[in-house]
Amino acid sequence: MRNLKEISTRLKIAKKKIEKVKEKNKGSNVASLGKALKISTELVAAVVVGTTIGFLLDSWFDTKPLLLICFFFMGAAAGISNVFKSAKQMHKNYKN
Amino acid sequence: MATNPMHQFEVYKIGPEINLGGVNLSYTNASLFMTISAILILSLLFFGTKKKSLIPSKIQLITELSYTFVAKMISDTAGSSAKSFFPFVFTLFMFVLFSNMVGMLPYSFTTTSHIIVTFMLAVIVFVGVTIIGFIKHGFKYLELFVPKGVPILLLPLIVIIEIISYLSRPVSLSVRLFANMMAGHTMLKVFGGFVISLGLLGGWLPLGFSVALTGLEILVAFLQAYVFAILTCIYLNDALNLHN
Repeated sequence: MRNLKEISTRLKIAKKKIEKVKEKNKGSNVASLGKALKISTELVAAVVVGTTIGFLLDSWFDTKPLLLICFFFMGAAAGISNVFKSAKQMHKNYKN
Repeated sequence: MATNPMHQFEVYKIGPEINLGGVNLSYTNASLFMTISAILILSLLFFGTKKKSLIPSKIQLITELSYTFVAKMISDTAGSSAKSFFPFVFTLFMFVLFSNMVGMLPYSFTTTSHIIVTFMLAVIVFVGVTIIGFIKHGFKYLELFVPKGVPILLLPLIVIIEIISYLSRPVSLSVRLFANMMAGHTMLKVFGGFVISLGLLGGWLPLGFSVALTGLEILVAFLQAYVFAILTCIYLNDALNLHN
């Protein structure tokens, strides 16, 4: 019996140590680098998609370059909202 | 020819030319390396699950680790309702990871460094998630484009912005993976070329850089597979749990 108790206290100590290391590593792991790469492309991609839509609509309605300019700015807005969304997600994950 | 850093991305056909109704279906080096990564994944999973012992062997450990890694990723980001999509996410993750890693071997070909490959993967995710969303919520899925608490005056503008943001998903997903892989491999080749052209005298510095960059590339190869899979989970979450 004594042996079992000893093992359980040892286990507790070991688990505490692991938790301490986990606390330290929170936010500074590989996943953060992934998030940084993710956000940078999200901003650019929305601008590209917005501008492309503007360009296509322009050649469709023959209103060069009005819609291109409009959709460029809307694409930029979409990019910023993308970044906001992922920042919110990160914040939520960090809290948990 | 060999010193051209873009030479490694050239696609050429192996074996006979196959033409099916005007579509060129020849077997290329890109298809060869896709087949190789698929076979590697299959053999890893086959040999990893062949002998199920309580104390796992190394190969069993790798298999179990990759399983729990993806399973945890899905339950963390998309909740328990996304559990049924585990095979899809696991396949995507393993395919991207193995394609990236096989590309790190000398004389090999990186399939994910071609935008058409990554764009196809991203479009499969995009179309699949959209269909799942419509099946699950019907036309209520369109509420994704209408955020709560927006004044009616601003609504048309916001809806267009949200639609652009939604359409940018496959682009950002594919361009990220493609650009990272291509840039990394080009850089490796350029530094490798410096070693040769600077010779025995000054070639040591770029050689050191090459070694460091190889390490970085292996990190990026894993990271991009991880990001690809986790974004698939996030999009699945959006489709399964609206406004959550």
